[in-house]
Amino acid sequence: MKRFEAIGIIADRAGAIPVVCTLGHTCQELFKTADRPTNFYMLGSMGMASSIGLGIALSRPGKVVAIDGDAAVTMNMGSLATIGHAQPADLILVILDNQANGATGFQPSMSARSLRLDQVARGCGIAAVSRVGDPAGLATAMNTAMNTAGPHVIVVDVETGVMPGLQIIPMGPADIRNRFMDALK
Amino acid sequence: MSNPTDLLYDTVRAAGVDFFTSVPCKLLGDFITRLSADGTVAYTPVSREEEAVGIMAGAFMAGRRPALVMQNSGFGNSINAVLSLLNYYRIPALFLISHRGSEGEFIEAQKLMGNAIGDLLRVAGVACHDIPHPGALEQVSQGIADAWRDQRPAAFLFPFSFWTGKE
Repeated sequence: MKRFEAIGIIADRAGAIPVVCTLGHTCQELFKTADRPTNFYMLGSMGMASSIGLGIALSRPGKVVAIDGDAAVTMNMGSLATIGHAQPADLILVILDNQANGATGFQPSMSARSLRLDQVARGCGIAAVSRVGDPAGLATAMNTAMNTAGPHVIVVDVETGVMPGLQIIPMGPADIRNRFMDALK
Repeated sequence: MSNPTDLLYDTVRAAGVDFFTSVPCKLLGDFITRLSADGTVAYTPVSREEEAVGIMAGAFMAGRRPALVMQNSGFGNSINAVLSLLNYYRIPALFLISHRGSEGEFIEAQKLMGNAIGDLLRVAGVACHDIPHPGALEQVSQGIADAWRDQRPAAFLFPFSFWTGKE
């Protein structure tokens, strides 16, 4: 499964709930696939997507999706410990695992050799963890996460590579923030 | 007479802060204990400071007024997120910081970061307020109001003198 296919399924199943997205090509693929006011495009601060999602989940009622990358989660692995500790029932963390640092030239990430983030999540006390590698599996996992109490972590094995024809997201930080905050009200 | 912890706690709550994260600190230990017992605020401990910057950004965008309770030594862990998340998106997160390495410090290794913290905050675009004693807590109320008005992060440094009454 290509990453943008996975992003399309996640956005489809998320519907109108907030989606926080990690930086780089992942953000650009979400923008191109399913731009909507409930998307927050995190354009810097690599590693923070799961934390932003956690902050939203602890602040308001209703589900929230954080789309993260395997290398970004590795940078902020303490976030999994905090999610396990805080047990936010509404948080759905989707980790797109392409076994690479895509934005910097597809250097292999630690999950290419040894790291299993689904096992790390379980070890942090998160019970609802799944690992999927095809569109049907991802759709099923998203449906479960949308309809049952979490926190949920879904690790998605995706191919390396990027969607053709991507562009820099043509929105400034104030536009991204204000549109997102209005959508959350 | 109230102790410094309670005076600070009541000041911050009265200013409208309603979402807290924390990294452990001995000087702020009683503050954190009070947070854990206060059912009227959202509170979660975190693994380290940068993570709390992300959590505060999410909380703010979801309508909360967030703060991180921490030691100054941890600010270095969070500078990229302070700049590329808080300042980029103009998110007024607050840092309530025990100032280790200030006068009275007993661990030599704390002193370098203790001396650098003011400059680091300024370089990172965080409004920095020194609060040397509980009598200066009005500056906290004002600094919080300014942060929300300007939509910029702000930090408050509480040195040993704030907690001990010795300047």
